[in-house]
Amino acid sequence: MTAPVLSLHEVSKSYPLADGAFHALRDVRFDVHEGEMVALMGPSGSGKSTLMNVLGLLDRPSDGRYVLRGRDVAELSESERADVRNAEIGFVFQAFHLLPRFSLLENVEVPMVYAGVPGPERRARAMHLLERVGLADKATSLPSRISGGQKQRAAVARALAMEPALLLADEPTGNLDSQTGHEIMALFHDLNAEGSTLIIVTHEVDIAEQTGRQIHLLDGVVERDERGAPIVPEPVRVRLRAARSVAA
Amino acid sequence: MSANLPLVQAEFNPGEAVGAPTRRERRGLGLLPITKVALRGLSTNLVRSLLTTLGIVIGVASVVSLTSVGAGVTADITANLESLGTNLLTISGASGGRTSGLVRTGSSQSVTLEDAEAILDLNDPRIAGIAPSVAATVALKFGAENVSASVTGTWPDFEGVRNSEPEFGTFFSDLDWRGSNRVIVLGATVASTLFGNAESAIGMDVRVDGVAFTVVGVLPVKGDGFNSLDDAALVPITTFLKRIQGPSSVGSTSLQAIYVAAADADVIDAVQVDLESLLAVRHGTLDPESYDFQIMNQADTLESLNSVTRTLTLFLGAVAGISLLVGGIGIMNIMLVSVTERTREIGLRKALGAKPRDILGQFLTESVLLSVGGGLLGIALGLGLALGVMPRFGMNAVPTSSSIVVAFAFAAVVGVFFGFYPAQRAARLDPVASLRYE
Repeated sequence: MTAPVLSLHEVSKSYPLADGAFHALRDVRFDVHEGEMVALMGPSGSGKSTLMNVLGLLDRPSDGRYVLRGRDVAELSESERADVRNAEIGFVFQAFHLLPRFSLLENVEVPMVYAGVPGPERRARAMHLLERVGLADKATSLPSRISGGQKQRAAVARALAMEPALLLADEPTGNLDSQTGHEIMALFHDLNAEGSTLIIVTHEVDIAEQTGRQIHLLDGVVERDERGAPIVPEPVRVRLRAARSVAA
Repeated sequence: MSANLPLVQAEFNPGEAVGAPTRRERRGLGLLPITKVALRGLSTNLVRSLLTTLGIVIGVASVVSLTSVGAGVTADITANLESLGTNLLTISGASGGRTSGLVRTGSSQSVTLEDAEAILDLNDPRIAGIAPSVAATVALKFGAENVSASVTGTWPDFEGVRNSEPEFGTFFSDLDWRGSNRVIVLGATVASTLFGNAESAIGMDVRVDGVAFTVVGVLPVKGDGFNSLDDAALVPITTFLKRIQGPSSVGSTSLQAIYVAAADADVIDAVQVDLESLLAVRHGTLDPESYDFQIMNQADTLESLNSVTRTLTLFLGAVAGISLLVGGIGIMNIMLVSVTERTREIGLRKALGAKPRDILGQFLTESVLLSVGGGLLGIALGLGLALGVMPRFGMNAVPTSSSIVVAFAFAAVVGVFFGFYPAQRAARLDPVASLRYE
């Protein structure tokens, strides 16, 4: 087997409290390999948000090692972590988090701005990525002018900008109706088929079932780590096929 | 049942299609993109941004316009003094004790005509001319025209000493002085008021306090200023004492001033020292602390006037500086609000790879743009005030490049200084908490 894209070794996260400490994560260990699509599940308070923040290098583990593409990133400085986030992590948020007064094209350009990608290349790539998610005609639109599903697709295009090692989606369909939710999931399947590694944080079982692997967290501990054949519901497959036929 | 999708490799692969993104080592975002982002941030709240810069606009405008006025006043005074001739010493009465301020003429009338004659008797070759001066405000009349003028009695030397060669006609002569002749030299304004045309005044008779004087000369226009003779008229001092000075002061020979012109600038100091000892002996006080006269040379006068205007300019500058400071605090306030409002944007930018210094740079650029923009507007406004408005109120304003540069630099520094704290707060925000911020 190839080296994993990421591996967590005895990762813990605790917050000091007046009476002792609160352990948000305890001894979390797992590997994720390239091309995997993983669901991170758990009720609220289970530590899945904390784990996502650690995986996304937004937060530092209190203990343990986090190896991302062969590099231990647990001990990096704030500035170095910003570089790693920029290069290796593509975030997709529940609330989309597009910059409100910037066009979709400019929004997709943001990570490339911080990477120092030259302007013309940046715009060409951003345009290309918007085409990829089917928003070429909306490139100059402001986020306020498009639907939730379109916003999330723009956010996915932005997440892909630097060809990250890992797409990290936090409740990506949480703010969408079921139809647009299916659309986004179809897009994820498509990207996964192209080789992208995805971790989807969700509490929805029918989202989690669509992945080949579900990691369940409870009270900061990995309770179950299950692999199985993905169950892709018909509406998602329909959309996936539709997208393929358009692409072809 | 689970269906394994026929997941064919799609046509599209961003990596293959465009090539991997070119990463560049960078020290910052670069001035242009960061300025664009900052301008975008500011334009979101255009009215607020404009109001925020108002403090800086007013501060810079007041620095530029007020220092222009200060410089204008200084220029006026300097030009005025230089028109008197540079080798001039002015002896005037002083009420004991040294005065360090402005020229004080006739404060105690303790300088007399006899003092002037004593100086004349020195026959000092270093002295080019001596002109005593005693004045009274008197009504001058020609036909139906009437004007009030400061009529000054003096010696013919006045012409050379005070740089007052008539434009038309001549100055009164030694003969006129010896003979107490009723001749008069008119200032430009006096002549034009009485005769309409200055040239036509020559040879005419004006009534000074009812006594007829023949106009022998008219002085050129000198312009406004405390030494201007435009509103004055000059007569031989002998005539003045006989005909003009009121009966109450008959016999008195006290003067407003004695003007002494040195032959050369190099000897002024020596002449001044000699005159001082001469007068000290004559006035019976050898203690400089109790002198009842003072001798000012032009350099002293210029210096004391300049020190006043310098102080004034400094004071104006300080007031303006305070308003700049207040403007800076306004910027800091608004930037703090802006950082709070845009917490989620900051969190997002960090998630997408912004380093603390990128965020710091973004917000610092915004505050500097605010203050520099305000500075530019303020310079425009200040110049408009100095060149467009002040002259209408009779003020001569000379904008100085140094005040513009200093005000602008100060505004920029204010932007950096007061922008730093909010920007640093933004840079230090925790990305996790900021992304969740509502």
